[in-house]
Amino acid sequence: MDCRQAEPLIPSYLDGELSEVRAAPLRRHLLDCQPCRAGAQGEKNLKRWFPHEAASSIPKGFAARVARRAFAGDAGESTLVERVLQPQAAPAMRAVESEEPIFQFVLALTAAAALVVIALAVSMRSWTLPSGTGLRATDNRGQISVEDAIERLDSLNRAETGGEHARPAESRRP
Amino acid sequence: MDDGNRTPQEGVRGPRVEATLMESVQAEDESLVRETLAGNQASFQLLVERYQDRIFSLARHYTRNAVDVEDLVQDTFLKAFSRLDTFQGQSSFFTWLYRIGVNTILDGLKRRGRSPVRAVEDPEILATPGPTRISGPSADMEREEIARITHAVLDELPEIFRTVLVMREFEDMAYQDIAEVLQISIGTVESRLFRARAKFKDKLLQLHPEFGQE
Repeated sequence: MDCRQAEPLIPSYLDGELSEVRAAPLRRHLLDCQPCRAGAQGEKNLKRWFPHEAASSIPKGFAARVARRAFAGDAGESTLVERVLQPQAAPAMRAVESEEPIFQFVLALTAAAALVVIALAVSMRSWTLPSGTGLRATDNRGQISVEDAIERLDSLNRAETGGEHARPAESRRP
Repeated sequence: MDDGNRTPQEGVRGPRVEATLMESVQAEDESLVRETLAGNQASFQLLVERYQDRIFSLARHYTRNAVDVEDLVQDTFLKAFSRLDTFQGQSSFFTWLYRIGVNTILDGLKRRGRSPVRAVEDPEILATPGPTRISGPSADMEREEIARITHAVLDELPEIFRTVLVMREFEDMAYQDIAEVLQISIGTVESRLFRARAKFKDKLLQLHPEFGQE
């Protein structure tokens, strides 16, 4: 084996991926060839640039969430596409999604409150407006007879003009 | 293909014990797949729990954005679920899932335009690299600093080189497993890795000449 044949085999040898049939002649070559041994050392140096990282942390409840989405018919890529098309809107959507039960409760509460306000407004309106088919401007609930009305006006006049003015007026009455 | 849950103890097990364990894991996976297809949500959740670590780890080598990572992993599992009826059991479930993961991650990042990954280059038409020599990271460098430099270099590599380097150097995958995931021959894995490492060294020296070796 010469250096040209040995060089491409060195990484696989260091990876432990060479069969003994290929590894044995390479081993013999490395024992005799200092430049190839230096090359092998370079490959070992390269491996130090790939440090093994600590076990990655997984978001809590990830598997359950994914399984739920899968069985709800989500085929994937939806979030990717949404985020590509609306990169700014996505975080808000995610927040709504993660707080879905609270969001739905607040939504239902708001709808119920709106219904109550509308019902109250309608009932107040029908209570204050005059009703009936006539054109009277009087309040039905406070309805009085014509005689009573005249009597009230008279008493008001009496109060305004005093007792002396009231007497002649009374004398005119039959 | 391994079960995706390697432990340091596995190195001292005999090959027969390893093979039996792998067969057992594969049988369990296939059973979970059947139960999932029959409508059992808990079985699919178990499959996700089994392999989420490996898919998260893979995605984190392509983007450091935590939200992107979670989206990509989620999409990988959702895609796998939607195609579960096409899983034939010819390869292990993990190989099948990992393949979907690699494709989903590359497609997702390309679509977002956030990744510097480039169009696939054919390693066979690239010139044979010269014998570039680099030193290892200096002893006082923190692991995070080394990882930051390495990922910056990987970002500059064509995606086929980046992918084999991630699978081999970070994920410790055997050539056979890489070949199954990428659906290429072991010889192609070997030559692609050889060129990927040479490219990595070139780019590292371009960005950090101080790590060159006489």
